[in-house]
Amino acid sequence: MAENSTLRIAWRNLGRNRRRSALAAAAIGLGQFAFLATAAIMHGYADHYFASVTGPLVGHIQILAPGWRTEQAVDLTLANVGTMLEEIRADPGVLQAAPRLYAPVLAALDEEGFMGVMVGADPLVEARADGLLRNAALAEMLGDGQVLVGKGLATQHEIEAGMELAVIGQDIDGSIASELYEVAAVIDSPVEIVNRAGIVAALSDVQVLLQMGDEAHEIVVHLRESEQVGQVIKGFGTLPVLTGTEVKPWYEVVPQLVGMIEVMNAYSLVVLGIVFLASAAGIANTMLMSIFERRRELGMLLALGSNPGRLFRMVAVEAVLLGLLGVALGTALGLLFAALTAGAGFDFAELGGTESFEVGFQGVQISSRVYPELHGRDIVVGVVAVLITAFAACLWPILHIARLEPIEAMRK
Amino acid sequence: MANKGRVVLLCAVLCTTSLAAQEEVPDAESLLRHFDLMYESTGTAARLEIEITRPNKTRTMRMRTWSQGEDRALIVIDAPVRDAGTATLKVGRNLWNYLPRISRTIRVPPTLMMGSWMGSDLSNDDLVRESSYAADYVPGAVEPSEDPPGWQVTINAKPEVPGLWQRVELVFSLADQLPILGRYYDRKGRLGRTMRLEEIKKVGDRLIPTRITIEPARQEGRRTVLTYLHVEFNVELDGSLFSLAHLERRR
Repeated sequence: MAENSTLRIAWRNLGRNRRRSALAAAAIGLGQFAFLATAAIMHGYADHYFASVTGPLVGHIQILAPGWRTEQAVDLTLANVGTMLEEIRADPGVLQAAPRLYAPVLAALDEEGFMGVMVGADPLVEARADGLLRNAALAEMLGDGQVLVGKGLATQHEIEAGMELAVIGQDIDGSIASELYEVAAVIDSPVEIVNRAGIVAALSDVQVLLQMGDEAHEIVVHLRESEQVGQVIKGFGTLPVLTGTEVKPWYEVVPQLVGMIEVMNAYSLVVLGIVFLASAAGIANTMLMSIFERRRELGMLLALGSNPGRLFRMVAVEAVLLGLLGVALGTALGLLFAALTAGAGFDFAELGGTESFEVGFQGVQISSRVYPELHGRDIVVGVVAVLITAFAACLWPILHIARLEPIEAMRK
Repeated sequence: MANKGRVVLLCAVLCTTSLAAQEEVPDAESLLRHFDLMYESTGTAARLEIEITRPNKTRTMRMRTWSQGEDRALIVIDAPVRDAGTATLKVGRNLWNYLPRISRTIRVPPTLMMGSWMGSDLSNDDLVRESSYAADYVPGAVEPSEDPPGWQVTINAKPEVPGLWQRVELVFSLADQLPILGRYYDRKGRLGRTMRLEEIKKVGDRLIPTRITIEPARQEGRRTVLTYLHVEFNVELDGSLFSLAHLERRR
């Protein structure tokens, strides 16, 4: 009963100066909104980077021939790729497994040679969402000496569909490999290296070019759930067909990505810190003002024998109510922001009045458009932070009450 | 007693070598010119064997080469069978590869000049720049070298000359003043590769090393050995030999 009345009194007290309370709540609300929006944008970016890096090129797990990662020598291959694929795909956590071959080549339309990278891939796998092509129609073109050429390479050397492309490289024995291919199409791959230098052919065609058997340089594995990396790797450890191979999780293949995601999380925590310092000041200020205004009244209550503890509680409840009001407002705004941007994303370039862009840089697609993603955890973090701030901010007013001499207070 | 005798003998040998060193230090220019003149001829025809060693395998190629001056050269691979007929033509700073399997001639782009030639430890650039040491490098002082014994000349690349090597240490033999060792340092001052020139033989009226071993530094188990099976200097060669038309017609 007493608690209920404390709550009611606290609520009424907030209503005494509505404008002041509303302003304080609005400031806290803006803070929560800023934090949620930043966190959502950072999550959006982190997810985008994670997907763009682990997506088509790196995958969640890579299976490689020992030494391939550092030396990239043509003859460092995995053998019996067919059997390997069968057993890898049998793992329930595995979504898909893509065998790939890479070979630096000298390519030419006429006499002038230029550098390229021959990429041998399984068309059926690469046609899927996390593949190099993401397009079934393109994938179907591969095979029988048909190749796809990356957009950048094509633009630089004026390569068009239908042209004949000569390719020279070195086969697995070190002999000279040469072949003529027909350009089936120019592709805009999600993978930067493929766009810049890639000549994509069916795995079997590249195996023939390089005089290989059932071999590949790497198998890129995508999982149903990216969190299951450790578990699936453990499972791979028991497969005899994979003994002698290197099995690497994405965070060992692209450790920079781990750092990048950590930096983004740290960034939203910095925003959280700034925002809540500001709201602490706001709450403390509001509460102090309201306590000063009520000195006489508080003195009277104390003189009449009110329990100081109850007064403290009243002030604390006022502060918390104010904080909750603000945080509710901010969360509503944050949810609105997330809902508005969920489908089409949010373009920083448009915000700045420039054209939106998307560029590849060091294997990562960087886009001016981001798809913010609000996590429930962030809302909770925001609410908890506001509550802690509210408690901390009412310490000063409470101390003030504790030092109050009832007679002194009433006299003024 | 026997020990003492050996020490005396060693002293005697050391003294004579250092005396010899003081007496007639050859000058760097003449040593380098010697190097450049060693293979100089109006026309050279040769048969070569190249053995390329990699950590887990060794590959041997045989080829015929023709060259005229420093500017023009033609290399045709005869073995292994799979590579037979593959040819490289060099005219000035241009390099073309002819691939008989696809009947295509492709010019090696400048960006690939530092790349390996036919998978060996020789770069395309090594072929193009049968580089004139006297022209491209500034020679330093001549010092005696102990391992191997000889005269060592350190030469530094002229700033305007592009290329991989910043500094080259060449060691010439004491007796014939023939090059026997080259140590190549890259732009960061790291040893990039070592070249040993061995099996000096008399060809016509000149002495030349007939086996050249190139070992890249910091790459265990990799080596390219180039052996002259046969060389003829000052052969008369038709200029049309060094043309794209001939490159494609020939076989």
